[in-house]
Amino acid sequence: MSVMMPDVFKKRSLAYRQLADAEYTERSEGAIAYRMKGDSSAQVARASLLDLSVVSRTGFRGINAEKYLQQAGLTVPAQPNQAYMGSEGELILRLSQKEFWVLDGLTTQDDILDKLSQHALPSYACYSLFCQDSHAWFMLTGHHLADIMAKVCGVDLRDDAFPIGSIAQTSVARVNAIVVSHQVNSTPVFSLLSDAASAEYLWEALLDAMQEFDGAVVGLSTLIDTVD
Amino acid sequence: MSITPHPRPRLKAPMGLLVDLNKPLDFKFEGMTYQGFEGDTIASALIGCDRWLMSRSFKYHRPRAPLTMAGQDANSLVQLGGEPNVLADRQILVSGMQVEGQNYNGTLDNDKDAILGLFSRFMPVGFYYRTFFRPLGIWDKWEKFLRRKAGLGKLDLNFKPEYYDKKYVFHDVLVVGSGPAGLAAALKAANAGAQVLLVEEQAILGGSLSYNRFDVEGLKADSLRAELVAKVEASENIEVLLNAVCNAWFTDNYLPVIQGKRMYKVRAKECIVASGAYEQHVVFRNNDLPGILMSSALSRLMKLYAVKPGRCAVVLTGNDDGYLTALTMSEQGVDVAAVIDMRAEGVAPEIDSAVKARGIHVKRGYTVYEALATRGNKHICGVDIREITAPGEVSASAEIIDCDLLCMSAGYMPAYQLLCQAGAQLRYDDAAAEFSLSNMPEHLHIAGSVNGIHTLAAVMSDGENAAISALNNLGLSEELSAEIKCMSQPNYPWPIFSHPKGKDFVDYDEDLQAKDIVNATRLGYRDVQLVKRFSTVGMGPSQGRHSALPTARLVASSTSRTVTETGVTTARPPFVPEKLAHLAGRIFDPYRRTAMHYRHLDLGAKMVPAGNWQRPAFYGADGDRDRSIQLESQHVRNKVGLIDVSTLGGIEVRGPDAAEFMNRIYTFAFLKQPVGKTRYAVLTNEHGVVIDDGVACRISDNHFYVTATTSGVDVVYRDMMKWNAQWRLDIDIANVTSAFSAVNLAGPNSRKVLESLDTDIDLSSEAFPYLAYREGTVAGIPARLLRVGFVGELGYEIHVPSRYGEALWDIVMKAGNAFDIKPFGVDTQRLLRLEKGHIIVSQDTDGMSHPGELSLTWAVNRKKPFFVGCRSVDILMAQPQTRKLVGFKLPKASGKPEEGHLVINGDKVCGNVTSCEYSPTVGAIIGMAYTGIDESEPGSRLAIRIDGGQMVNATVVELPFFDAKNQRQEL
Repeated sequence: MSVMMPDVFKKRSLAYRQLADAEYTERSEGAIAYRMKGDSSAQVARASLLDLSVVSRTGFRGINAEKYLQQAGLTVPAQPNQAYMGSEGELILRLSQKEFWVLDGLTTQDDILDKLSQHALPSYACYSLFCQDSHAWFMLTGHHLADIMAKVCGVDLRDDAFPIGSIAQTSVARVNAIVVSHQVNSTPVFSLLSDAASAEYLWEALLDAMQEFDGAVVGLSTLIDTVD
Repeated sequence: MSITPHPRPRLKAPMGLLVDLNKPLDFKFEGMTYQGFEGDTIASALIGCDRWLMSRSFKYHRPRAPLTMAGQDANSLVQLGGEPNVLADRQILVSGMQVEGQNYNGTLDNDKDAILGLFSRFMPVGFYYRTFFRPLGIWDKWEKFLRRKAGLGKLDLNFKPEYYDKKYVFHDVLVVGSGPAGLAAALKAANAGAQVLLVEEQAILGGSLSYNRFDVEGLKADSLRAELVAKVEASENIEVLLNAVCNAWFTDNYLPVIQGKRMYKVRAKECIVASGAYEQHVVFRNNDLPGILMSSALSRLMKLYAVKPGRCAVVLTGNDDGYLTALTMSEQGVDVAAVIDMRAEGVAPEIDSAVKARGIHVKRGYTVYEALATRGNKHICGVDIREITAPGEVSASAEIIDCDLLCMSAGYMPAYQLLCQAGAQLRYDDAAAEFSLSNMPEHLHIAGSVNGIHTLAAVMSDGENAAISALNNLGLSEELSAEIKCMSQPNYPWPIFSHPKGKDFVDYDEDLQAKDIVNATRLGYRDVQLVKRFSTVGMGPSQGRHSALPTARLVASSTSRTVTETGVTTARPPFVPEKLAHLAGRIFDPYRRTAMHYRHLDLGAKMVPAGNWQRPAFYGADGDRDRSIQLESQHVRNKVGLIDVSTLGGIEVRGPDAAEFMNRIYTFAFLKQPVGKTRYAVLTNEHGVVIDDGVACRISDNHFYVTATTSGVDVVYRDMMKWNAQWRLDIDIANVTSAFSAVNLAGPNSRKVLESLDTDIDLSSEAFPYLAYREGTVAGIPARLLRVGFVGELGYEIHVPSRYGEALWDIVMKAGNAFDIKPFGVDTQRLLRLEKGHIIVSQDTDGMSHPGELSLTWAVNRKKPFFVGCRSVDILMAQPQTRKLVGFKLPKASGKPEEGHLVINGDKVCGNVTSCEYSPTVGAIIGMAYTGIDESEPGSRLAIRIDGGQMVNATVVELPFFDAKNQRQEL
């Protein structure tokens, strides 16, 4: 695995400067922090934050969007505000009756987008969305997920009220965000998808909220190694 | 040199629940070193050293000492380092603390302003209002002096903000108060499966069980408390917040709870308020002397802090609780000189016997008429007691009893504040001489002494009843509530004994005496709300906890109404004083940055806010603005410049009805807009006012990409969604502002810069003319290109997915090096577009600007049947025009108008300047301003009043100021 900096790529996360101590690896023609100084599985289990903004994702909206995804072989959640995790770790989010986002798995490389690209978009009522660029993608891990979020979000995100597979479209630290409760392998995590232009702001707000739980930034490989 | 006062020996266990007598702590008060113990409050430690005087009263500077030992009064306000108004009876002692008194002139012990008390007859109620209002302006002169005399502590203006935050919590049941009712309620609810949050103001659970005596033997409270607390601690369904205050009730059980430096925002499905009741004082002369305190305060001093409060005590009571306190004092070695019972009869026989068995003298039907003071009113030294002959009246013959301690209990007032905030009503029961609460909203329950239940067993049952109601609502139980009976009536009906010499305080915070309340009603302020505002009763830190009940009684009596009719003043949040830091918490002030943000910083940009974005105003030093923007503008005019325009709004409109939608939303015609072309898009609201503008690109027959102003895009997007909710056109609307980064590459050499990059777009003027739209790649980056002319030069807006934004900037700047490219900021862009006479919506427009005033009628298509605001535009344009936005010019050497400066015609204001800069290109000061229609023709003179009142005469000119034939942008 080669070590590189994000600005050697044209595609960059808008929060990459916040990860000063990161070691990067290539991901979807960009760079993703795969390890941070002092990373540990204990950190992941306690409280950690990851920037997954360069990981591929796409979205579709319209009355034909559901059919399109199903024809592409994806399983679509039955109700809005539900997420389905596919066998490769990809996430299919149903944000409304006719809006869906598809997030690539963490251990795969654009597989889900490749799969979708093999199916032509319907010419009518299925509009691709810009969620790769309009939204940053952060992930929170650890035992204190609900406690951390309770400092920045007014929605009850405790296990019983917000089980795995739930989605909350809400305000986090006064920024619109989509919060998804899911698992990376068997570890519960929250994915946060929020305005890309506010990425650095939200990153700082989350780190601030994590402080009392000794939260820290970790790299992707630390998360995957931990949960493996 | 300070000396250490010798601390009195503390009492032995079970006294001292909160203190560890093995851990002494030294601290300073008024420069003198004192010793307390871990767990002490400042007040308990000071009283433990026989130091009572802690503060001076607000108005008369009378010596004051704690009244409640529970943070319910203003008598214990002290200065703690840089923090004023700290409650000494709530603040936990820390080794090395530096504590000072406040509100004194000289020293706390010898306050020169205490002389004010001698002139109290000249400072009656409403004194300030009635004295300092004339002659006009006199208050300004008095204010400084009066505020200094009535100040409360000193602010540290060098204070550095500390870390405060907020946290949301969610529970089935919130129980406020952990006294016997609260504990019983919490356990009942938790045992049925509810998730319970139990909030307790004190450091330990138990409420009154931790300090109060409920039986003659004095055993019941301790054992019951231990039993209940153990159960709470064993319950997995109960979360406890100690040292926490529920500070308000908001709709749907939304309750802020403050603990330390955090505010919890609690969402509770059910809320049980078991907040208890405030013991009430007796009104008599000198009832504020140090050494006079509530019966419960004495109990707290002994039981919680192991402080032996005095040598010889008198108990003044209107109920049995005073007797029980007398028993405790006697057992702990305090000589109880007498129990003065205001009641003629009614004490429980077993209590009476127990008191008498300890040799305590009891006087029934008597009251303290006056407390006698040591020199300087620094402490009580005795009481003048008299027989009560009628409500509020006493016999002429006095009996003097020496004492250094007086505790009093006139009854209780429910801690009603949270409940009244929720809409509960207070009703006075004349028989019980007590307020009760009713009309609670759904999902809010009440239990214990706040509910008028006083005996221990009944309080417990009442707590369980409240829990049953909550559980029924939650669907966790179908149990029925049991009937509660409580015969105890602890309130003495008229514990007010006015003295001709006054100083019989109703409200300690504001130094209000009984006659002050009565006089307020005599001056016509009959309503208790008016009495409050005129006299300031209840407006101090204790917020009427002790003054509300006697005030209601006095107002009712002097206005010949019932106490229920009189009522109490409105209870509003917060319940206890809260810091602004608690309200602020973490500062969630979202900001947005473009992908190129750090490149601007690296280039020395002066960043300015644009909505919640940060944008470069110009590149240069802070004080070098004018020179910087002139250089940057010249560079764009002569060579090439690059500006980050990522903050521009971007909206995608897609679908079969996209063109129809655009045609209805914007003023121009869009049905026939060719694919690959851009068109200026003006948006008016239903009043015909221009509210935004942008450029609409037709990407395909069914696909438009339209820009909007940085600050306006959210409104535009919302309006689009709103209108299409009515129109039901077959389209999809997406706000893609954050999804695209964009730059404007402008200047004569811009095409050359772009051509030097690897692009698959034919950039020739024939293939890509002015106002065209193209898609392709630029240096391998997928891009949307718009030929625009906002700054009046050959230019290309390049829009790319935001993850490429920084790379795009780098690539274009690098390619532009060969052409001496320079970045330019938004202030420079404003000058450049001003030279071209282009308006900026919201800078050059206001809430009344219609297309006619802005010379935008060319952008309004009147052949189409409809656009938003078309009817209003027609009506406005059919009326005689009154003002117009015009261009004006001034010589370079003239005074320069600023935005907002007024255009004057004779004695009338006929407009204002909206934009103005010196233009090196034009060689003059140029600007735009609204002016009357009569002065809007080119050649007219505009009189503009600039800074310092100076008038300058500008000449109205045709727009634009530069390149009237648009030859430069159409290259």
